[in-house]
Amino acid sequence: MKNLIILLFLITACQVHAQTELPEVSLKNIKGKKINLQELSKDKPVVLSFWATWCTPCMRELDAIKEDYTEKQNEFGFELVAIATDDARTKQRVKTESLGRSWPYEILLDTRNEIIRALGNPQIPLTLIVKNNKIVYRHSSFTPGAEDELFEEFQKHLN
Amino acid sequence: MKYFIYMVIICCFTLNLYGQDGSFSGGFESNTQWYQTDEGLGVQAPQDQLRSNNYFKLNYSYGKFTVGAQYEMYQPSPLLGYFPGYDDNGIATYFANFRHKNLDITAGNFYDQFGSGLIYRSWEDHTLGVDNSIRGIRVNYQFTDYLEATGFIGNQRTGFELSEGTVQGLNTEFDLGGLLELETSINMGASYVGRFQESTSPDPDFPATVNAYSLRSDVFFSRLNVGIEYVYKEPDAYVLNGTVLNGNYSDGQALLINTGYALPGLGINATFRASENMGFFSDREAAGNAFLQQTINFIPGYTKQSSYAVSNIYVYAPQAILSPIENKAGEIGGQIDVVYTAQPGTWIGGKKGTTFSFNYSNWSGLDAEFDLTDNTYEASLFSRGERYFEEFSLEVYKKFNDHFSTKLTGTQTYYNGVIIEGSSFELNGTAIIADFLYDLDQGRSIRLDVQHLSADADRGNWAASTLEYAFNTSLSLYVADLYNYDETDIHYYSVGGSYTKGRTRVAVNYGRQRGGLICVGGVCRFVPENTGFTLNLSTNF
Repeated sequence: MKNLIILLFLITACQVHAQTELPEVSLKNIKGKKINLQELSKDKPVVLSFWATWCTPCMRELDAIKEDYTEKQNEFGFELVAIATDDARTKQRVKTESLGRSWPYEILLDTRNEIIRALGNPQIPLTLIVKNNKIVYRHSSFTPGAEDELFEEFQKHLN
Repeated sequence: MKYFIYMVIICCFTLNLYGQDGSFSGGFESNTQWYQTDEGLGVQAPQDQLRSNNYFKLNYSYGKFTVGAQYEMYQPSPLLGYFPGYDDNGIATYFANFRHKNLDITAGNFYDQFGSGLIYRSWEDHTLGVDNSIRGIRVNYQFTDYLEATGFIGNQRTGFELSEGTVQGLNTEFDLGGLLELETSINMGASYVGRFQESTSPDPDFPATVNAYSLRSDVFFSRLNVGIEYVYKEPDAYVLNGTVLNGNYSDGQALLINTGYALPGLGINATFRASENMGFFSDREAAGNAFLQQTINFIPGYTKQSSYAVSNIYVYAPQAILSPIENKAGEIGGQIDVVYTAQPGTWIGGKKGTTFSFNYSNWSGLDAEFDLTDNTYEASLFSRGERYFEEFSLEVYKKFNDHFSTKLTGTQTYYNGVIIEGSSFELNGTAIIADFLYDLDQGRSIRLDVQHLSADADRGNWAASTLEYAFNTSLSLYVADLYNYDETDIHYYSVGGSYTKGRTRVAVNYGRQRGGLICVGGVCRFVPENTGFTLNLSTNF
């Protein structure tokens, strides 16, 4: 019990110094090209959505955002990059699912879970808004309607 | 624990000394269960009724340096079905990393994988109780934009200890498309992984060192992609029921081919894998252990993954380990996936579009011939013997309007229980699942699924249902029941809820857990039947 109290104290202490930057990593997209994460959010906000082909709420979220994507993109420059955390078992399904569902997003592969581990192994779906490589908003889990909150939040981080 | 606190204090101190340039990151996860005696289910509460698995991870980055550690506490005992070696608490993993320009050096525990993992993969999964990180040194160097290499040496983690065997590896990745500035991306790779564990045998030819080599290539045209990987593993000692045999050594090999074709609205993918004697462990005596400890390579089951209760009863588990009694020398098979979206405005697509997902998977043993007296065998990598698993599944997802969507799933499964779980039945099952989602306003939604599985063996037919209500984007509650109405008349009921806010998630659950294989990512762990109250807590920073 004493250990647990100390742990809880440490967690609270750490929350204060919470990490706000993404690690310096390049990931491959589904076409085998390397994409530098740092470049993605240069001088503009971008949504990073962590998902996997086996994660039903993740698929729901990305399907839901797809419906309004073009409209929001034209309206205020909404941009989403979907990072698949699928391991070797389901990695090949990433391209099939994302194109088969006509998703308009850039799809990156975090097959070795480098980024997700650097973020502290959170559960997915995890949605971040990143600007100049700084995490300015973080939300996990998805229920219908959460996409509207995301659109609103995104607009707050436009210049 | 004491050392851990010291470390945190030192980190905080450093942070203050150098101002606020460095940053902390990490997370805390706690999975706790209160087990109860349940006469209806026929289970007795275990000796420690309250069990808890806790993970506290802390990383500190300062410029080019990152240091980190993970403290784990399994108190008073690990959850049921976990590796007994976890019954302790302390710092389980730690590392220091330096990253500058093209160089990346890690001392301490690291995770990595070469190719698809068929030759080497270190990974962590709290649900499965897997953490086979290697403690040692890892160096990665990027020579040019199109050539990089990784080398490592160390010992694998098993519980709170290190494996007896030493593992070393070397990997190169070469981007030919990048070098030639082609539109087509052509990635190539070659790897070596070796394990050394002292010989326990009087035989001078006993393989203390077992080396494995792999070659692979992935080519991406604009719509088509093709990948191929081959692994050869040198002869390793034959382990039968935990006993290492002398004078009896077999090599192993595997071939993996993956090909896909995709354009907007249609994706097709086919995977084929044949493997023979590809179990690869850092301690030879750990071969085939039930707790997934000390595995050097990763052999997942390529089948459809489902989140519904009735589809998770008969799941394929890969068969990589030699077993003369069951005539097992390896497996051959694969799967095909097709995802098609009928666009909105078309006859099938309707107003909002319709998505079809089809999967077919098929796995068989190699056609092997064992000599049971001297424990040798003959098998060809491209032969097919006994059928292990076969499944067809079709899923149709349709959104009718802004508020209402449904998903219908039909699955036909053949499951060889004799091979997969060592029981005495073979089963054919048909599952039908309907899932309805109604989206109310302001983040409120209601979801209902109805499931049925008719099966001709084992416990026969099952029915299941889940009702879930989300009050807003943070809070949701559910009730669920999985009912075996055919043979045992047992209800596996459960109720629970979860609350998520920002970086923190809390979930509570009360109910019965069906015993059997819990599979995550095609890797399975056995859990005994149980009843109780569960609390899951996780936060990240």
